[in-house]
Amino acid sequence: MSRIALLAALMGVTRNCMSRIALLAALMYLIILAGVGMLNGAMVALALPLVLYLLAGLWRGPEELRLTAERTVSAERIAPGDSVIVELKVTNHGEALEQVLLHDPLPAFLTVVEGSSSRLVSIPANESISWSYTLQGRRGSHYFGEIKATAEDHWGLIIKRAVLPTSGQLLILPPVSRVRHIAIQPRQTRVYSGVIPAHQGGTGIEFFGLREYQMGDSPHHINWRVSARQDGVIYSNEYEQERVADVGIVLDGRRRVNDFSGGRSIFEDSVLAAVAVSSSLLSEGNRVGLFIYGKRNKWTSPGYGKYQRERIMQDLALAETGETQNFKSLIIPRRLFPPNSQIILISPLGGGELNLLSQLRTRGFQLMVISPDPVSFEARVLGDSPSVKLAARIARLQRELLLRELRHAGVQAINWDVALPFEQAVRASLSRPPAFLRAIQRGRGAG
Amino acid sequence: MTRNFIYASILACAGTLTYGLAANDYIPPSITVALLGIAWIVLFARGLHRFSGFAFAVFIILSSVSLWADVSPVLALAGVIFSLLAWDLTRFHQRLQMTNSQQDTRKMERAHFARLTLLIGLSLLGYFAVTRIQVTLTFGSAALLALLGIWGISALVYRLRSHE
Repeated sequence: MSRIALLAALMGVTRNCMSRIALLAALMYLIILAGVGMLNGAMVALALPLVLYLLAGLWRGPEELRLTAERTVSAERIAPGDSVIVELKVTNHGEALEQVLLHDPLPAFLTVVEGSSSRLVSIPANESISWSYTLQGRRGSHYFGEIKATAEDHWGLIIKRAVLPTSGQLLILPPVSRVRHIAIQPRQTRVYSGVIPAHQGGTGIEFFGLREYQMGDSPHHINWRVSARQDGVIYSNEYEQERVADVGIVLDGRRRVNDFSGGRSIFEDSVLAAVAVSSSLLSEGNRVGLFIYGKRNKWTSPGYGKYQRERIMQDLALAETGETQNFKSLIIPRRLFPPNSQIILISPLGGGELNLLSQLRTRGFQLMVISPDPVSFEARVLGDSPSVKLAARIARLQRELLLRELRHAGVQAINWDVALPFEQAVRASLSRPPAFLRAIQRGRGAG
Repeated sequence: MTRNFIYASILACAGTLTYGLAANDYIPPSITVALLGIAWIVLFARGLHRFSGFAFAVFIILSSVSLWADVSPVLALAGVIFSLLAWDLTRFHQRLQMTNSQQDTRKMERAHFARLTLLIGLSLLGYFAVTRIQVTLTFGSAALLALLGIWGISALVYRLRSHE
C-alpha cells in the first residue's frame, strides 16, 4: 500500500470516528487550554472564530423533517430512447429548511437528459417546491418508491435525513421487430384452430389425403379425377387441420456466453429476438411461455393473447444476464409443456448446449435454436489484424461445427448475424417449415 | 466559484503563516508550512476531500503554535480564519456536487458566502474587542475561566450532537 493510500485510509477512519463537531470541539479545547496554560490571551482569542462557527450552526440547525412528496410520471411504458417527464412536488409541513438536498435515486439504465434529479434548495415553512426533469433509458423497469431528503445547517454540522415515499413506475419495453410468420411443426398441437399444421385430416388449406365421400362433405371437396378411376366410389379431398400449439421460449442469459469485454453484450439482441418470436407466435393464437435463464431464472407460465404478450414483455424488460454457468439445471415442466410441443432456444451458444438439446429431442420436443452470432459480433469490434482474422476464422469454424451437430440431432438451428435486422436475417429461415428446408438441402446435396 | 475560493483560502492560510514565520527568521518551519499548503491544494485538486479535516486541524494548530514564534496575532488569526474557510467550503463544495442544478448552485453559493462574510466580520470584531480588553488575572482565576469556557463549549457541543 502506498503512503498516500495508507494516509487516506487513516483519514477515512479519523473522519468516520470524528464528526465535524467533534473536530471543532477538540481544536477549541486545545487552543483554550494552551492559551490558559501559557497565559496568552491572544491565543485564547484564536478560538473565537471556531466558537462563533459552532454557535451559528446551533442557531439555525434543522428541526425534524416533516416533508411529503408527490410524483407524476408522464408515461409508464415507453420504448428505449423515448423521453419521459418526471414532475416532483415536495411540501414542507414543518420549520423552514435552509439547505435541503432532495435526491431522486435512479438506476443506471436511466439517464437524465434535461433538468436535474437532485436539487439543493431552501424551503420555507408550509411551502412547496416543484420541479421536473426528463429521462431516457435503456430496457428495464424502475419503481419510483422514494425521494431522499438531507437537511443541514449552514455549515453542515447538524444533518437530518428523511426518506419521502412516492409512487410511480416506468417500464422501458424492449423494441419490437415484426416477424410475420414462424413456421413450426410440433408433433402435438392443441384442440383450438390456428395456423400450425396438426398432421391430422380435416378442414384446412393444405392437401392432406383422400378418403371415401361421406354425407355432409362439400361437393367442392370431391376429387373427381380419382373418383372417375374407381367404380362407384366417390372420394373427397382431405385437408390438414391447422391448430394452435404449445411453444416454450427459452432465453439464454448466461453471462459467460452473452457478455464481452468493454461492457458489450449480445444479450440485447437475444431479447429482441425473444420479443419478435413471442409476439409473432401469440398473434397466431399459440400458447406461449417464456423461461429466462439469467440473473434470475424466471418462468412466465404459458398463456394466450395480448395479456400474455404483456406479461412476456414485462418479464423481458427486466431480463438481465447472470452468473448461471450451464444448462444442467434447465428442466422443462411437463405440466406446462407436454412432450412433443415446440421449444425455441434463443442463445449465442457457448458449446455446452448440445447434450441438453439432444436430451430434449429424445423426450420428444421439437427444437428450434435462434442463435445471435457472437463471433461476428466480437470480430467487428476487434478490428481486422491478421491474428484477429485467424482467431475469428477458428471460432467461426467451431461454431459452424456446433450448428451442424445440432442440425444432425434434429434441431432447427438458425444463425443470426446481429448486424442485420432480425426480421430481415431470419425471414427465409423462419417463414418456411423445416421439412421444406431439409428437402431443399437434400436437393442441393443431390445436385 | 466555490472551488476557486477554496484554492484562494488555502493559499491565503498557508501564505500568511509562511510570511509570519519567515519574517521572524523561522525559515525551515516556514518552508514546511508552505509545502503543507501546497500538499493541501494538490489533495483537494485530486478530489481527496477526506484530507481537508486533517489539513484544517494541522493549520489551526500551526496558527496557534506560530504565536510562540512571535508571529503577529493578526496573521495567526488570518491563518485560523482562512483554514476554517477552506475546510467549510470543501464540505460545501462536496454538497454542491450532489446536485447538477446550476440555478441551485448559484443561489446556494451566494447565500453561503454571505453567511461566511458575516461570520468573518463577527470573528474579527470579536477578536479586536477581546484583544483591546486588558484584564490581569491570577492563574487560578484564569484556570476557572478556562474551565467555564470548556464547560460552555461542552454544553454547546452536546446540544449540537443531540440534534444530529
